Amino acid sequence: MNTRILLVGLAVACSAPAAFAHAFLQHADPGAGATLNAPPRRVALIFTEKLEPVFSGVAVIDASGHSVEAGTVVIGGNSIIAPLLPLGPGKYRVVWHAVSVDTHRTEGGYSFTVRR
Amino acid sequence: MIHLPTRTTAFLFSALIAAAALHPTPATAHGVVGERFFPATIATDDPFAADELALPTITSFDHETDLDVDYSKTILPGFAIEVGIGHVDAKADGDPRQRGFGNLAVSPSLEVYRDPAHEFILTAGLGWEIGGTGSRRVAERSSTTTPTVKFGKGFGDLPDSVGFLRPLAVTGTAGYAIPGGGDEPRSIEWGGAIEYSLLYLQNNVRDEGFGDFVMHLTPVVEFSLSSPVGARGGGTTGTINPGLVWSGQDVQVAAEAVVPMNRNSGHGIGVMGQLHFYIDDLFPHSLGRPIFGGKR
Repeated sequence: MNTRILLVGLAVACSAPAAFAHAFLQHADPGAGATLNAPPRRVALIFTEKLEPVFSGVAVIDASGHSVEAGTVVIGGNSIIAPLLPLGPGKYRVVWHAVSVDTHRTEGGYSFTVRR
Repeated sequence: MIHLPTRTTAFLFSALIAAAALHPTPATAHGVVGERFFPATIATDDPFAADELALPTITSFDHETDLDVDYSKTILPGFAIEVGIGHVDAKADGDPRQRGFGNLAVSPSLEVYRDPAHEFILTAGLGWEIGGTGSRRVAERSSTTTPTVKFGKGFGDLPDSVGFLRPLAVTGTAGYAIPGGGDEPRSIEWGGAIEYSLLYLQNNVRDEGFGDFVMHLTPVVEFSLSSPVGARGGGTTGTINPGLVWSGQDVQVAAEAVVPMNRNSGHGIGVMGQLHFYIDDLFPHSLGRPIFGGKR
């Protein structure tokens, strides 16, 4: 009987209606911990849900804490794209925050390195 | 006969509600503190006051199969009341089979402190098992009140030199069970979980190229223990539960082994599994938000 109940539960779970869930990071380029031979021209973050652009954003900073974004950060759909200044060798940190349409906030951060 | 709450239970219940009203907490995602997502644990209480439904939790261990349902509803942001009930089917060697529903349990929880930068959360709770609401064959006739403290701590604040440890997190719970009946000893109910989040590893430390399914897995080891207080109670008993949790966008599936920690804790190795729904994700604008103080 228990197996049947579990299977029914799984079926209910799989058929759950599409929902406005929290936006978790699904893919990042450059990725967390990446070591790059050439400096990236942008940081692209893809999320699991659509974002509220007004309440979402990203900062990319160098080892001395200076921002290295160039121009306007583009937030649309489920992505955040930040063009970057020409980066020199060193370690950089990406710090993002995202608010999905369910109004819940998530945040995260990671580092990448540009090789000498 | 259903036992009414004792004066102690009523006082603790009222104190939690008053504290919730005086200590508003901003609405946050379920299981999230700072950059950390804690999956719901299945053998022990996690420290989050959230809108969620565990349906079912099935445990098969030591000649007994339990089927439990737990529903947690936020009343205010950071304050939730959980209601749970379970069905017991036990057949010990040489004893007649015992089946029936256990007592109804009502458990308010209040998140009293959050430190997002250090991925830390502290929660006060109260467990109230209402004696007389379950089947006479399997449930106690007296109520038990358990004031509880719960916490969660992620280790994302560790330095990059030990980056492989940053996906680690722990949760813990400790409660003092006060039975209303005469013969039952008081006890300390305690436990916790050690978790290693592949999602945190992938997104915050090092992109290992995990696929969508793998990155949502969290290997976990839970432990759930009971230590009677005083000479009458005997020694500590409990189980250690290693397993895996898969956390999706609005549902979570978990499976763990149930390993007795000593001879008095049971025989053989059991299993437990749970299907868990994040109600705040499934119904963000209705059932999934606090009754008072939530954003529309």
